[in-house]
Amino acid sequence: MSIFNAFNASSSALTAQRLRMDVISSNIANANTTRATVNENGEYEPYRRKMVQIEPTDKSFRTFLQKATSTTDNKATGVKVTEIVEDEEPFKLVYNPSHPDANEAGYVQMPNVDPLKEMVDLMSATRSYEANITAINASKSMLMKALEIGK
Amino acid sequence: MNLFSGTINTLQQSLNYSSIKNQTIASNIANVDTPNYKAKDVVFKDVLQNELSSSIAAKRTHPRHLSFDLDQRLSYQTVQRNNTTFNHNGNNVDIDKEMAELAQNQIYYQSLVDRINGKFNSLQTVIKGGR
Repeated sequence: MSIFNAFNASSSALTAQRLRMDVISSNIANANTTRATVNENGEYEPYRRKMVQIEPTDKSFRTFLQKATSTTDNKATGVKVTEIVEDEEPFKLVYNPSHPDANEAGYVQMPNVDPLKEMVDLMSATRSYEANITAINASKSMLMKALEIGK
Repeated sequence: MNLFSGTINTLQQSLNYSSIKNQTIASNIANVDTPNYKAKDVVFKDVLQNELSSSIAAKRTHPRHLSFDLDQRLSYQTVQRNNTTFNHNGNNVDIDKEMAELAQNQIYYQSLVDRINGKFNSLQTVIKGGR
């Protein structure tokens, strides 16, 4: 048992939330990108919205085995990003015949990014980050206080 | 005569409890956005549970034999709150509750350290003969 378990759990969450913010920034930055990838027909495809998948770190076989064999191990559960997945929602069609990527009918496929959704996600990530900072500060003050025992 | 009275042991156990509680709260806050994560909680084992678990005792023919219950000294355990859902994604971390408990636990820990220090200080006074 390490005294820094709580620290490790909180800092893993800081990493995860920061990555989440990075992905959101990328989504907002590419809200109007119509030429992100080339599909198998050689045509340009717009940017697809990306999302992070987060999971507690105690889902591995090792932790289950540890839990089954010992009764005292209360390791703190951190969090990790397992995958960055793409949103399979259809692209938005916008009528804009003068656009270089418009089809014969004059419609352009725009990325399936909703700026509103991204802003709300960004706020949520920021708040979670702040909550974890508070938790780290609490753990730190407790450890500093423990050093005072017997002084 | 017991020089280190039971108080120090009690305080020590409470400090252990408090630090485990801090770890648990930290994991809950870390997983506040994780789908299907269920919040964990540290609770004191109740008397009934203790009686139930100690009803089957290992027959020990030698004092150094181990009993069935290895964590007998621990008076608390970590449990999962499985019966509620707060969000669409199956998560049930109540962030306000966790933050409040975090603050509370911090003060609790500091007061325990204060008390154990007071205990040590009075011992020191006795050892030095009041000088």
